[in-house]
Amino acid sequence: MPEGKYCNKKPIETPEEVNFLLSDTSGNTYYEEMKSLDVDSDLMWATIQKTMKSRLKTWLEICAHCGMCADSCFIYLVNKKDPKQVPAYKIQSTLGEIIKKKGKVDNAFMRHAMEVAWSQCTCCNRCGTYCPHGIDTGIMFGYLRGLLYQQGFVPWEMKIGAGMHRAFRAQMDVTNEDFIETFEWMVEEYEDEYPGLTVPVDVENADILYTVNAREVKHYPEDLAEAAILFHVAGENWTVPTEGWEQTSLAMFAGDWAACKMQVESVYDAMERLKPKRMIGTECGHAHRATVIEGPYWAGREDGLPPVESIHYVEWLAEALREGKLKIDPSKRIKEPVTIQDSCNYIRNQGLKNATREIVSHIVEPGYFIEMSPNKEHNYCCGGGGGFNGIGFFRKQRNQALITKRDQILKTGAKLVLAPCHNCWDAIRDLEEEFEIGIRWSFLKPLVIKMLDLPDHMKPEE
Amino acid sequence: MFKKILFATSATPASDHAARVAFNIARGYDAHLDIFHVLGVPSRGYSQVVVDVKTKERVDVDDEYMSWVKEEVNTYYSKYLENGLKFDINVTVGFPAREILRQAKDTNPDLILLGGTTGDEDESVYKKSVASTTLQKVAKSAKCPVLIVNRPAASFWGGLSNITFGTDFSKSSDKAFDFTIKVAKALDCEVNVFHALDITSVSTGKILSQDDIEQKIREAFRMIRAKYEPALKELKNYSMDVWEGIPYIEIVKYARDNHSDLIVMAHHSKKAKQEDAILGSNVEQVIVRAGCPVISVNR
Ligand code: SF4
Ligand code: SF4
Ligand code: SF4
Repeated sequence: MPEGKYCNKKPIETPEEVNFLLSDTSGNTYYEEMKSLDVDSDLMWATIQKTMKSRLKTWLEICAHCGMCADSCFIYLVNKKDPKQVPAYKIQSTLGEIIKKKGKVDNAFMRHAMEVAWSQCTCCNRCGTYCPHGIDTGIMFGYLRGLLYQQGFVPWEMKIGAGMHRAFRAQMDVTNEDFIETFEWMVEEYEDEYPGLTVPVDVENADILYTVNAREVKHYPEDLAEAAILFHVAGENWTVPTEGWEQTSLAMFAGDWAACKMQVESVYDAMERLKPKRMIGTECGHAHRATVIEGPYWAGREDGLPPVESIHYVEWLAEALREGKLKIDPSKRIKEPVTIQDSCNYIRNQGLKNATREIVSHIVEPGYFIEMSPNKEHNYCCGGGGGFNGIGFFRKQRNQALITKRDQILKTGAKLVLAPCHNCWDAIRDLEEEFEIGIRWSFLKPLVIKMLDLPDHMKPEE
Repeated sequence: MFKKILFATSATPASDHAARVAFNIARGYDAHLDIFHVLGVPSRGYSQVVVDVKTKERVDVDDEYMSWVKEEVNTYYSKYLENGLKFDINVTVGFPAREILRQAKDTNPDLILLGGTTGDEDESVYKKSVASTTLQKVAKSAKCPVLIVNRPAASFWGGLSNITFGTDFSKSSDKAFDFTIKVAKALDCEVNVFHALDITSVSTGKILSQDDIEQKIREAFRMIRAKYEPALKELKNYSMDVWEGIPYIEIVKYARDNHSDLIVMAHHSKKAKQEDAILGSNVEQVIVRAGCPVISVNR
């Protein structure tokens, strides 16, 4: 049985197909079927010849096996420095082998490659900044995931996640109607407290187009209200699109390149349609990477940029605080030991470390902020990046990977961890559940709202 | 009086007191009961993993699991569900307060009924990231009255004969009063209007002299008369009282002394003034302490 009922090479396209795959509890049958899935070596080799950038080939060739990248990889460190966890080894023994053998590898090899690609690398790109040759293993793993996805060797949740994007243009089964309805509902819930609070839908030429993470709509709709409140208090002229509101991309984690393109194009279409001055995404790291950093290439945009200037939420927040659009009541600042999780996706890969530090200077009482060590662009991944958080098949490995962050946090002595990234937030949540180190964690929005010094005309009347 | 009731339950013994009341009211009013169970909170990123509040296990939630849980809830309440009670059972995944409010938005019930600890068990890890409890959130945002049964209610609904209505003279208290009158008329019961003069120094900023206190009590009495007596006169039995002290303690004591079997209060969503914030937490304190069910009315 080469192609399975659940596990096969065909991407998921419709809500029915999503549900069908979901009905295979924990993907048990899926992984069973994977054991007899054929490898289409010709297709793989043809794909490599068509898509593999010379940069990647060069990287594979010039690697000096010097091992200097080893200590930079947190997964290597938490696995007792197992030589098999050295970044160079991990990629050479998988992608490197596939290239060497011109795609002629077998089923067992592919399943092993899947394990390495999704449970031994979070694509945090940290090793890339330490390699004397500038070799970025994280990027190569991203590429390997694409090859594996095409062949159907992809973790169950990843296949579903990518399928969600294809079927719903969102990472969860949230429709455009659900999105608008939920946003309006949340705003209604808070309009007593913030008179005049609204969610402007599909307004053309607004200053800000706001995009979100579908999980907010599904499970944490307060986040939508909080975004609305902060834009409202800052006096921003903002809007949300009825279509193209989902900024995240599980398709990117899955290596489903076609779905990546579909997803990001839906956001770009919204930009073209509504012509906002800027796009601002929610507090999510990989969403920013997908839509702002990688997206332009997926969509084939020659200038390498999204259709309109796109910034991360922390950049907007830092700006609003700097310009006094949002005022913090100094007596309400955080007065307990607090640290911040630097998301690889916009700190290491886009240098936004100053924005988050600037926010901290406004919301934390001087003397209470403690940096993790290492930090900023040198910070370690939270332990759940690149899709790792959600994959049940590799839960043990993921929990092991959380140890780095756990120990980093413990060393700061902080009781509160700022986590302006959905994925990091999840990982830190899970690590508290696993290890019970007695911390709290939070996005920035709810904290800032509690500290706002509201102008008089915005206070509710009674 | 009630046509549609949303009963949010953990379907565990923690909700049993509330369940008795829920089924009683539904029968008494021939109302439709929506038995609503939030089976667990999503965890592990975007995965399907949920910690089941009943079994405390981490499970992969799919349709099959949902129908199994539905069946479990049905079995748990089977003895109440006989004899043509109009009900349905809905099960979902998410943060309890949010999902209860979502269900209320979609179905528009006339009353939401919560057990004292609905859905909060085994949530320790979430409590740290979620600012307030299920109860606080639902009471704050619900559009219909919320009935909270925290402790066993001896005789309730049908047997209801005495209501304590606690007021702070706010706009939301007016809403709560209208509701009280409606219930009292429908059930033919006595209403005691009560105001507690807050003499804690946090609220007044100073220690009041006895003359001040008596003066304020007289003022409060005048307010009660002016605001509520016209409507109260349509009832057979009513009384009015003003005591001084810590409001939530006084209300609980007062209700106990009067053998009230229900307390009605306004929940304050407004956070304008400091005093309002304190009163808002009064309801929550009353809920935890009262020997009888409490209805929180918001708008
Ligand atoms: S540091 Fe660079 S060159 Fe050295 S082993 Fe690692 S990837 Fe290869
Ligand atoms: S990208 Fe990150 S997780 Fe992957 S090998 Fe490099 S350091 Fe390790
Ligand atoms: S989840 Fe956060 S820390 Fe981890 S890889 Fe992604 S951005 Fe980095």
